[in-house]
Amino acid sequence: MDARSSVAPPRTGKTLHRFANPGQFLRTSGKVLPWLFWVGALLTVAGVIWGLFFAPDDWQQGDTVRIMYVHVPFAWLASAGYFSLAACCFVSLVWRHPLADLAAAEIGPVGAGFTAICLATGSLWGKPTWGTWWVWDARLTSVLVLFLLYLGHIALVRAFDDPTRGYRAGAILALVGVINLPIIKFSVDWWNTLHQPASIGLMGAPTIASSMLWPLLFSAFGFTLLFIAITIARTRAAVMERRIRSLLMARASSPGGEEIPL
Amino acid sequence: MTHLPYIVAAYVLAVGMPVVLSVEVLFRVRSARRRLQAIDTRRDRG
Amino acid sequence: MTRKKRRLLVLLVCGIGLGSATALTLSAFSDNLVFFVSPSSLAKMGPSGRQVRLGGLVEQGTVEKSSGGQAGARFKVTDGNASVLVTFKGILPDLFREGQGVVVLGVDQTDGVFRASEVLAKHDETYMPKEVADALKKSGRWNPAAGPPPPASTWNQSATKPPG
Repeated sequence: MDARSSVAPPRTGKTLHRFANPGQFLRTSGKVLPWLFWVGALLTVAGVIWGLFFAPDDWQQGDTVRIMYVHVPFAWLASAGYFSLAACCFVSLVWRHPLADLAAAEIGPVGAGFTAICLATGSLWGKPTWGTWWVWDARLTSVLVLFLLYLGHIALVRAFDDPTRGYRAGAILALVGVINLPIIKFSVDWWNTLHQPASIGLMGAPTIASSMLWPLLFSAFGFTLLFIAITIARTRAAVMERRIRSLLMARASSPGGEEIPL
Repeated sequence: MTHLPYIVAAYVLAVGMPVVLSVEVLFRVRSARRRLQAIDTRRDRG
Repeated sequence: MTRKKRRLLVLLVCGIGLGSATALTLSAFSDNLVFFVSPSSLAKMGPSGRQVRLGGLVEQGTVEKSSGGQAGARFKVTDGNASVLVTFKGILPDLFREGQGVVVLGVDQTDGVFRASEVLAKHDETYMPKEVADALKKSGRWNPAAGPPPPASTWNQSATKPPG
């Protein structure tokens, strides 16, 4: 058994394979990670303080509108995180990219956590404004389905003794679940829902005052960078853990004893 | 018509989730690096 | 190379199949995915005795808060074409006012009165500070009961400067 083959695929010179090299990934990500994390943390703190203390009250909702500055970024990240999970799964299925498997398995729990916070903050916003914690309208239900898809992927990836089969099964589930993303996005336009339509879109003028839009952009960008930083850090840990496993397995199966040439 | 408890709860949850995940991954990376250095003689990783 | 291309092709074909199947299913069941019905379609359906959700705007000048011991109200819900008289016993949500979007859960009685057991307030996608809303209303550029406000990019022309 060659320990090296499982951790360092041969350099073929192709761009994708250069990123597939876990050693290269550890070196590059180690350099950008502190920047991602601290810029993200700074923007998040700025956005949260701005939204909590300085942004104006809404004419209808009063100060309850401040929940928007944390609910909306988590809602965006719930969908964007699932999209990145599905992209990793696609790369894994087509190109058999070992790093994509690890990344997909690490995005899952982070995305599920963010989706849970999206649902919880939405509930905390719904009670004082709508008058209810939860309704089964198309938007809320489709986000709950997204949360269940994350949980399904987490469970499926870890359900098999052979990790490769788990990654394969999880990838198929994740790609099937992509159909839910446009349903979440357009649910408020296609059907009558209690949830209001989007205030910011690619088409059409925004329907949010700029004094409220700026803190939202700060916290959205900050939480996004934190999401990316956490995911990269988890993938780094996963790469190292896999290397530890293969080294230990190589050592156990090598006939000579302790020292094996790597 | 202030709804301070709802707002505070939402902010605590939203800020708490990245903090918890960051601390968790910090310990995970540290322990993985320590174990790797203990068994790997090469020094160019991590 | 060919195996990678084949896997790519299989995934794309599966994706197209799954996507169109979902689109067909959703369009076939779209009546059941609707969270509430409008007053016009309720009038078409007729009283069924079943629980339905009715959604629309609270008609101007129709809200009568009950004066007795318990909280409650009578008001009309309209979508511009038809309106339905609703009675409700209970505490109305904070955002309830004339011109506001609401969703009420209840039963359409044969006497033409919709007896609601739950009233939820809808809020729209407009977020603006109080001063901006007051300035827009004062300058006559927007009447909240008449329709949506002008686009946000034009608000600051008439509004006071936001604090902070």
